[in-house]
Amino acid sequence: MTAATLFGLCGAALVGFGLYGLVTNPEPLRKILAFNLLGSGVFLVFGVVSRRAAASGLGGDPVPQAMVITAIVVAFAATAMAIALVLRLLQETGRSTLSADNPGGTDTDRGNS
Amino acid sequence: MPDANVLPDATTTDGALLVLAIVLPAAGVLLSFVLGGRYAERIASVLLPSGLFLATIIFADVWQSGHPLIYIVGDWKPPLGIALRADGLSAAMMVAMAIVICAVAIFAHADFGTRPGSVEARAPFAFWILLMAIWGAMNMVFLGGDLFTLYVAIELLTFAAVPLVCLDGRAETLQAALRYLLFALLGSILYLVGTALLYGSYATLDIVLLSRQVRMEPATLVAATLMTIGLFAKTALFPLHLWLPPAHAGAPAAASAVLSAVVVKGSFFIVVRLWFDVMPGMLGAAGAQLFGALGAAAIVFGSVVALQQQRLKLLIAYSTVAQIGYLFLMFPLALDTAAQLQGGGALTGGMLQAISHATAKAAMFMAAGLIYATLGHDRIAELGGAARALPMTIFAFALGGVSLIGLPPSGGFLAKWLLLEAAVATGQWWWAIVMLAGGLFTSGYMFIVLSSAVAPSSEPLKLRVAVPRYQEAAALALALTSLLLGLVALGPVDILLVGRPDSMMVGPR
Amino acid sequence: MIGETTLLASAFVVPLGMLLACLWPPALNRMPSLLAFAPIPALLAVLLVASDSSLAIGSARFRLTFALDRPGAMLLGVAALLWIASGAYASQYLQGRPNRGRFVVCWLMTLTGCLGVFLAADMVGFYFLLALLTLGACGLVIYHETPSAWRAGAVYIGLALLAESLLLMAFVLLAAQIPGDSLLIRDAAAALPTSPQRDLILALLMAGFGMKAGLVPFHFWMPLAYSAAPTPASAVLSGAVVKASILGMIRFLPLETALPDWGTALAAAGLFAALYGVVIGITQRNPRVVLAYSSVSQMGFIVAVIGMGMLAGDGRAALAAAFYAAHHVLVKGALFLSVGVIAATGSRRLWPMLLPAAIIAVGLGGLPLTGGALAKFVADELLGDGPASTIATLSSVGTTLLMLQFLRSLAKSASQDPQATAAAGLVWPWLATAVVSLVVPWTLYLTVPSGTLPDPLSPAVLWKALWPVLLGAVLAIALWRWWRSLPRIPKGDIIVALDGGMQIAVTWGKALGQMDRFLRQWPAAGVSLLMVTIALGAAVFAR
Repeated sequence: MTAATLFGLCGAALVGFGLYGLVTNPEPLRKILAFNLLGSGVFLVFGVVSRRAAASGLGGDPVPQAMVITAIVVAFAATAMAIALVLRLLQETGRSTLSADNPGGTDTDRGNS
Repeated sequence: MPDANVLPDATTTDGALLVLAIVLPAAGVLLSFVLGGRYAERIASVLLPSGLFLATIIFADVWQSGHPLIYIVGDWKPPLGIALRADGLSAAMMVAMAIVICAVAIFAHADFGTRPGSVEARAPFAFWILLMAIWGAMNMVFLGGDLFTLYVAIELLTFAAVPLVCLDGRAETLQAALRYLLFALLGSILYLVGTALLYGSYATLDIVLLSRQVRMEPATLVAATLMTIGLFAKTALFPLHLWLPPAHAGAPAAASAVLSAVVVKGSFFIVVRLWFDVMPGMLGAAGAQLFGALGAAAIVFGSVVALQQQRLKLLIAYSTVAQIGYLFLMFPLALDTAAQLQGGGALTGGMLQAISHATAKAAMFMAAGLIYATLGHDRIAELGGAARALPMTIFAFALGGVSLIGLPPSGGFLAKWLLLEAAVATGQWWWAIVMLAGGLFTSGYMFIVLSSAVAPSSEPLKLRVAVPRYQEAAALALALTSLLLGLVALGPVDILLVGRPDSMMVGPR
Repeated sequence: MIGETTLLASAFVVPLGMLLACLWPPALNRMPSLLAFAPIPALLAVLLVASDSSLAIGSARFRLTFALDRPGAMLLGVAALLWIASGAYASQYLQGRPNRGRFVVCWLMTLTGCLGVFLAADMVGFYFLLALLTLGACGLVIYHETPSAWRAGAVYIGLALLAESLLLMAFVLLAAQIPGDSLLIRDAAAALPTSPQRDLILALLMAGFGMKAGLVPFHFWMPLAYSAAPTPASAVLSGAVVKASILGMIRFLPLETALPDWGTALAAAGLFAALYGVVIGITQRNPRVVLAYSSVSQMGFIVAVIGMGMLAGDGRAALAAAFYAAHHVLVKGALFLSVGVIAATGSRRLWPMLLPAAIIAVGLGGLPLTGGALAKFVADELLGDGPASTIATLSSVGTTLLMLQFLRSLAKSASQDPQATAAAGLVWPWLATAVVSLVVPWTLYLTVPSGTLPDPLSPAVLWKALWPVLLGAVLAIALWRWWRSLPRIPKGDIIVALDGGMQIAVTWGKALGQMDRFLRQWPAAGVSLLMVTIALGAAVFAR
């Protein structure tokens, strides 16, 4: 097993865990963590694939590194923003769920429509 | 191909305008941070009109020269550097979005204006900064010449859009914003995986270079699929629309207008770029039919659910879900006999649909906001008397509806005509049925709203506030733009097709 | 010639300008008294413009064209006359009523659309003006804002937009058949007979125009709309507006080419409607509803004339149908106006008012020397001697019967106050329309060469027209004798079935709403995301 395959498999596993958590976990905080897991997996994969492309030319390709760093910054900003929203939600309501699946409470007057 | 990695194009004259279109909003955002919230509106009121002016110049330039504008950033040529390109599609979309954003800015002066002598407030400060950020991100989406720049742009767009949803800080809008953010992040991760795979295969993400090199191979197809689904999630294409109704219905009117009219078009535009410019031969008949099927499902679901809504803003939000569906009908219709996506009538129709929906929907959300401000609620059954209190607003709403239904001379009609023509030319009558049925559904919910607004009120109306006239005028101006957009057909040149690669240029597959 | 094109343009630009002027409140306030002037340029255009001049706006790739052809000119002229009279009537009618502004705006929209449709020579312009007409007409129908008016408006606009969707599809299909970029209706009609999609296009055109013309089973909107709309609006809707569909059929259907199957179908549908309208109409008590059913019947007859033309490939059908329709424009308009006049007239002055109404009403059944007899005479030539002719005679008998029933219900609807008199502003426009409806068909007959026809004044022709009227009168006496045993049929008859359909649609809509609610939950959305990914992946890999 080459290093690239190992990295790839690790990345795939992280993506799988993250995706599962993001879809099934009802807690927003856990969803955010799952998103970070998913993101790490993708960054790993990104590194692996671009290494393969670089193998044909130079020793190391700087472009994917720049891209991964940018992506990490973006993911960091996204996490910060999501956490800020969760905190604010906690302050407002005392709990932090995404349970309200009905927009604007249309369900309450469903009966008389 | 020996010269596959060398771009024939270099920075064109006036190419620096493209940089300005991205730098100007960014400068506005930074300046607002530095100078503080009291100045944010003033900065925006200078920069947004100049942005419209800039977009118009770029549009005129592209139109007259018949060639795309190009700027190679730092003179580092792709694949190492980054190119900004403005072809006919981007120029037209830039102007349309600038018009909408300017109108929203005029409208928002009443809600988020800075009164002289008042203390700095959080919501106006955030609103103006976010509005400029959305404008900048959209320009980046339209001008970005490589897929990673587009990724950054679409992320910026999401980050600017999410806080707009929860400007008022109420619990349910916070929830809506969080749902939006998390689902959009899922989408952006999928997009990122796609770019990684593409870079791994071709060592470039530049749109023009990629379009020459792409081959039919598993990695490319997986990448394209993942990127597309990610963008679908961000566009809220049915069945991935869970975040849209609460987010668009809960936001303040000016924010809803931007979100519904502008933001969803960003990710849609990247889908168009991806399939029409990067890999026009890859989607294939089955894929295109799937796009169309999702669009058709969006039209049916969105319209039928909109018909059942009891609140005006939710109805408009569901109407957006339905109208997004129309945008995706152009993919099966643009497919030629060799299974290539061609930039012909279907593409023009689809983009025209996007523009006319942007103007009409922004006008409708503004009108809904004015109705809400005046009556203190937006329950459709109790809108009686609104037409008497706000005739201009209801008129704007009705004109927006005319465009959504697709009655001439609106842009919606021209778009529908072009799409129907493409459906006839390619023999895909089933999409024609969906389009026509969608128009009937739309007229259904427009009739419900308008009939209830025109009806006299059961009790004397208690008007909460007198709506400033310029707010009504902003909504009306956008609605009129949408209504008269169909008249562009009377003009001589098809600007949207400027800079489209001919089928000869697409290269080996 | 510049003068002619200017005149042609002014026919629809003047009403359009008046419509736009309504955005300015002072102009809107003055507008009710100006309604009668809006159609005058159209009338002048008909009288002064040569029939082959046209006007084009736009670029070479896409242009709007307006032109006068002979059927269009005929209908435009009489429609303008009716619009002038009804406009004068409406000016009086609106005095002291609420929502004058909305009435005026809808009136001008309908007027612009109606006159424009008669001039439009390309498909996009035709569709645009048809849509404008529909929106305006819907506004006129719901003017009174009663629940029944809302219902009528909803039914009207729903059906009209459905019809326009079908027509739009047909137009797009036609545009694909025309070689080059032309969108002219003339080219479309010429390309239609040889088109590979001929049957589909014909079906769409006939269904679309048939719905607008009130062919059974799409006739139910007529009784609802015409009884709900204000009197002057009913007059123009039933007289002028509905003829847009007839003109559409004349222009789009290839009448020069014999298409026996489609011609037979269209003629059969028309003749069925002609009889059906009579049968349901005689059970009605409201004079407006009776008139509406008479419209169903008359429109059916006109459609049948076109159908017979298609059957035989006889291009004269266009002119015959237009001629019959032109007569119907004026008579039906005058009769609707009479309903308003009579309702404001007391028993003391009833007879002088009832008599003109009676003459033109029975004229619709073919009373000799009236325009109605002349119209039927022209149409008879096309219907031949077969079963269609028999049905036409039956329809003549039935129309007389129906018109007598109308007169009876009209007389009963007179004002309770014996001294009441209708305002002069209502009476004069009505009387003028009635006189015009008697004179104009003869003028048209004498000025427009419609081929070699036998003398319409020969005794044989006169007798042929008279006996169905006499028979109708005898039947009317029988009808009133057994009046009480007739079933009561609600106006709009088969619309009851539509209500049942609505229930099913609502159930389905609720089910879709439930499904949407389910799909918008996080886990469901996550699963849909994965499924869409797999589906798209499979689709792109499948090739």
